[in-house]
Amino acid sequence: MTNKIYEDLSPIIRRSHKIFILVQIVFVLLIFIFWKIQIIDHKKYWELSEANRLREISIPAQRGIITDRRGEILAKNIASFKVSIIRENCEDLEKSCFRIAEILNLKPDVIKQRIDKFKTLPEFHPIIIKDNLTPAEVAMIESHKLELPELLLQSEPKRNYPQGACASHILGYVQELSLSEMKLEKYRDKKLGDLIGKTGIEKKYDARLAGRDGLLIEIVDSLGRSKEQIQDRPPQPGGKIELTLDFNIQNKCEEMLDGKEGAIVVMDPRNGEVLAMTSYPDYDPNKFVNRFTPNEWLELVNSTEYPLENRATRGLYSPGSTFKPAMLLAALDSKTITKRTTFFCSGSVKIYGNDFYCWNRGGHGSVNIYESIQKSCNIYFYQLGKMMKIEKISEYARKFGFGQRTGIDLPEEKAGIVPDPDWKKRTTNNPWYPGETISVSIGQGPLLVTPLQLAVYTSHIANRGMKKVRPYLLMDAFDSESAAIDINADIFEDVIEGMWRSVNRGGTAWAARVEGMEICGKTGSTQVISRETAEKLAKKNIVLKTHSWFIGFAPRKAPRIAIIVLVEFGGMGGSTAAPIAREIFKFCEHLQW
Amino acid sequence: MVTRTQLNYIDWGLIVLLIINSLIGIAVIYSSSHHLMGNYAFKQFMWLLVSLGAIFILISFDYNILVTYSSYLYIVCLILLGSTLIFGNLISGAKSWIKLPFFQIQPSEITKIVLILLLSRTFSEFKGRSIKIIHGLTSVAAVCVPFLIVAIQPDLGTATSYIFILAGAVLLAGINKKILILFLIAAIVFGFLGWNFFLKDYQRMRVKTFLFPEKDPLGVGYHIIQSKIAIGSGGLLGKGYLKGTQSQLRFLPARHTDFIFSVIGEEFGFIGVALVLIVYFLFLARIFRSVGKARDRAGVYIIFMVAVLLSSQFLINVLMTIGLFPITGIPLPFISYGGSSLLTNSLAVGLILNIKMRRFVNL
Repeated sequence: MTNKIYEDLSPIIRRSHKIFILVQIVFVLLIFIFWKIQIIDHKKYWELSEANRLREISIPAQRGIITDRRGEILAKNIASFKVSIIRENCEDLEKSCFRIAEILNLKPDVIKQRIDKFKTLPEFHPIIIKDNLTPAEVAMIESHKLELPELLLQSEPKRNYPQGACASHILGYVQELSLSEMKLEKYRDKKLGDLIGKTGIEKKYDARLAGRDGLLIEIVDSLGRSKEQIQDRPPQPGGKIELTLDFNIQNKCEEMLDGKEGAIVVMDPRNGEVLAMTSYPDYDPNKFVNRFTPNEWLELVNSTEYPLENRATRGLYSPGSTFKPAMLLAALDSKTITKRTTFFCSGSVKIYGNDFYCWNRGGHGSVNIYESIQKSCNIYFYQLGKMMKIEKISEYARKFGFGQRTGIDLPEEKAGIVPDPDWKKRTTNNPWYPGETISVSIGQGPLLVTPLQLAVYTSHIANRGMKKVRPYLLMDAFDSESAAIDINADIFEDVIEGMWRSVNRGGTAWAARVEGMEICGKTGSTQVISRETAEKLAKKNIVLKTHSWFIGFAPRKAPRIAIIVLVEFGGMGGSTAAPIAREIFKFCEHLQW
Repeated sequence: MVTRTQLNYIDWGLIVLLIINSLIGIAVIYSSSHHLMGNYAFKQFMWLLVSLGAIFILISFDYNILVTYSSYLYIVCLILLGSTLIFGNLISGAKSWIKLPFFQIQPSEITKIVLILLLSRTFSEFKGRSIKIIHGLTSVAAVCVPFLIVAIQPDLGTATSYIFILAGAVLLAGINKKILILFLIAAIVFGFLGWNFFLKDYQRMRVKTFLFPEKDPLGVGYHIIQSKIAIGSGGLLGKGYLKGTQSQLRFLPARHTDFIFSVIGEEFGFIGVALVLIVYFLFLARIFRSVGKARDRAGVYIIFMVAVLLSSQFLINVLMTIGLFPITGIPLPFISYGGSSLLTNSLAVGLILNIKMRRFVNL
């Protein structure tokens, strides 16, 4: 190799010089750019860097407590510890994860996922890796403080529900703000890691309960140690919330439903105060009031019995015979019938070429308006339905509040369905069949209501349509201005007579009768399957249990409480729901409500 | 192996400039990391000693031997790179390290040297006025394989530097317009595919943030904003050594690695920045001038590729700290903390020394 003669390399060397000229130009440009940033814009950046010397630390505010109307505490805060990792102080993030996992008894992957979730935060921001620490864990972290400078132990108030599962659907629970919620306008003051109300009262009144986190501003030295504290803003604790609930009644209702699936609502028909609202099965919110989702949570979410759903506001059911008072009111008010109208019940009737049956196959004989409610005669209401047509029925159903949200102060309430030909056309693109009107007239068919809507409707009957009731849970949420339902009070008295007889004169709701209490009520038993299927099954001697309803109020004159009871698959309303209502009526009497 | 005459031609000036740059680096690394665990400044000093030793070992072999065996070195590199994907140790999200009992090495760094040697061998055979398509394609393929492996790790910064090496070689060889257009079309197609299918979310984020840093002040844009605050607040004379509030108070991320230039800007001001730019410019100028001192075509290619590699990394890193280039994770050569990077860059300079001291034939 060494004796090779030099070859002419000048063309490529010349190219190299050209490239170097480019590099020179960039260097000159750089000098100008840095002149601009460091000399011309110096003042602006200097001010920004001064602002950076102040470190902001947020002090979590105490969340407001929630009580019932007597001051019984339903949600409060207890002291708790959380631990965060500061990535910047890690020598080796991988190793740190393993060490910390060992100490906290976590899986390293859990910590890594957690860090990954917040990786866009600057390195010095603490990322919470475990909260709700046990005293043993706190001691463990304290004793490893020197070896693990990346860990930060802090105390924070933790939400606690001293009554456990009681009223859990109403109260809701708090959980960590998710990344998608973070982008919502209403949470713009929140930070990652903050806890927010996810359902129920905790969600509805989150702004009121949350208070405002305090802000501690400190001047830090070159090692990031605090030199001086300027406590700019102390935390403002969240406001207390007093609910209209009566803890005693609430507890009684939960006791009555224990082991069943269903819902109970107890309301004051005069103003819409909800005294108790139960949905069963329920859950203990204390089990997942933290930032992490243990297995209990997944079990609840995936359970086929939907324990997290508030059946009272979100469950949709056919009202069944509890709809009959509304039918009778509508028929009388629209002058479809008069007070003297009677129909003959032979046990079945042929309408539009189909046979429709009464629940009493033997027939009720001649039935007047009072007996129609007392005996809950289907034939009577088939006839009303046929005469009134669906448009009239749905018009009145809406007057009583069906098919629209009641406006209760709970999130994600359902509106239910009041069917009419328009609705049918919109949803199925089929015309309305007259036979469906016959089903709706006894509260079956596509008519769907929530238990809370039934409670509102019961209150409307109880207060004789004097005003439209909006149910509410927050003590000071009552709005006094509301229109009356334009139905003559006399007509209400007639329907109430029927409901009174149903309880007190051996009607279908006789099991709700309490001696000395003037209770008016109505039961319902709704088929969960279609009438045709049920009849086919009946021929084979198979009886599927129906949903069991009771609605009622007391006393007859100047009513003070309205109660509705739903037991899913409870059988006949008279035999399951009515006795439960009776116990609650008795209990309220005992409390001198 | 090394004759006395050759020793006389060692470019001590280049070595001195290298050491000055490294010492500046160590001083700033100390300032930006002395409150962290890990004693980074001392580690970097040890790496400097190791690198200087490596330079003297490297110059005792004739570079032509290395060029001759470059294809074998290339294969070894590919095996090492492949094994990082399988056994790699995850550091800051990239699988690029191989752990040895006493230290960790990054094969992707050493690959730069091997690519320079391999490309110099291939290109030194083309003596026409511009390269032919077939030669262009083979060299592109040779760079693409390690590029893809390193990009998957994912370490886009290092992978990009391979492209600069290749671009340097192609530019020097001369390229006719047809091939240039072909390259551009390929680049656009790959860019489109890469953006949609290949880039990880965080990388796409970085490009977006580069374009609109204020949109994301607490996310990736945070780095750029904090870096500009650090540099701008330094003013003419700076806040003084160990007194930069941005870097000392840890508002600046990756201060001892990718954002070390921001610390220089903050603590030593415009004067400091200008001095570092001048020293670095002298260093790069000396390397570019060395291109003409090579004995043969391979030597010219090697020196030129080293010059392009170092200047592109330096300029990109500096532009990155002032938000004029996306954050790609390219360190400042010789100044940023990082053992593998210092060693590799030193070896690259060692190649230049090697070529320069053997520039006279028949002596």
